[in-house]
Amino acid sequence: MNGDLLTVALLAGAANWVFRALPVITRSDRMAPGGWLERFLSATGPAAIATLFVAAILPALTPDLRALLPVIAGTLAVLGVHAARRSVVGATLAGALVHGLAVWLLG
Amino acid sequence: MTAPKPSFLNGLAASLPIVMGYLPIAFSFGVAATRAGFSATEAFALSMIIYAGASQFLALALLSSGAPVLISAFTLIAMNLRHVLYGPALMREAGDQASTRHAWAWAWGLTDEVFGQALGSLARGQRFSESYMFGLGLGAYAAWVLGTVAGALAGGGALEAWPAVSAGLGFMLPALFLALLLSILSRRQLPVIAVAGLGTVAGTLTLGATSGILLGMLAGALAGMARR
Repeated sequence: MNGDLLTVALLAGAANWVFRALPVITRSDRMAPGGWLERFLSATGPAAIATLFVAAILPALTPDLRALLPVIAGTLAVLGVHAARRSVVGATLAGALVHGLAVWLLG
Repeated sequence: MTAPKPSFLNGLAASLPIVMGYLPIAFSFGVAATRAGFSATEAFALSMIIYAGASQFLALALLSSGAPVLISAFTLIAMNLRHVLYGPALMREAGDQASTRHAWAWAWGLTDEVFGQALGSLARGQRFSESYMFGLGLGAYAAWVLGTVAGALAGGGALEAWPAVSAGLGFMLPALFLALLLSILSRRQLPVIAVAGLGTVAGTLTLGATSGILLGMLAGALAGMARR
């Protein structure tokens, strides 16, 4: 087992447990809302997801239209299915399916 | 008359749509892990210990590119910080009388999709029960771990003869991030998202990919803190 991998996994896993379980155990929903901490917490998640989407899509952006078409098709599929079903899982699978189909059709 | 509390089996049944969605994503994670040079045991450990899809894919990218351990861990932790809001939102809907005696165990399973499903059932008038939360969470967790193991055992070379399938699985990560982004998109969050996106592009182009991710997250979070 890779030591670095295990360290990263244990740190991230422990943080995940704290993020998911501690607010339920302490019933933090009963605390008074507002303040900088709430603004920080509510902004960090969207900031992280936006950052990771941009980081994941950047390497796929190319002036080569043949390589770009499957990316556009997959992105449109995610947008369309999410608009219709409001499902993260459904939109993700549709995006991957349409991207794969576009690669297959373009040979 | 008060409706009966939903059972463990009710929760397990409610997890089926999530299971169907998790299996292929987890499979592609297992394949991606072996492609990145990790063993099936290491892929299994990542899914078992972290249990957060998008950040696990990112862990592969960071670890295989030689990013420092603490920076990798910090990036994953920052990415999953959004989960801290799920518990309060769920318990606010569950009511003051809802039991949290076993929350230390079932709340581990509060992923984006499990939270969404649980909150949706409460919004439709279902009563809160810890047994239901156990069933819902366990079905999703088992699908995630089993899907990962299946993908890792199939191996990175399993898809060499299927380039379209391989390309589709490779697009799973940007698709997942985009879908997650859409699910939290609101007028209030737009400045945070825009600043984070621009910060990432600027950081990636000038300093490199890992720095771009850190810069984007930091810029977005600071933009959120600055607003009133």
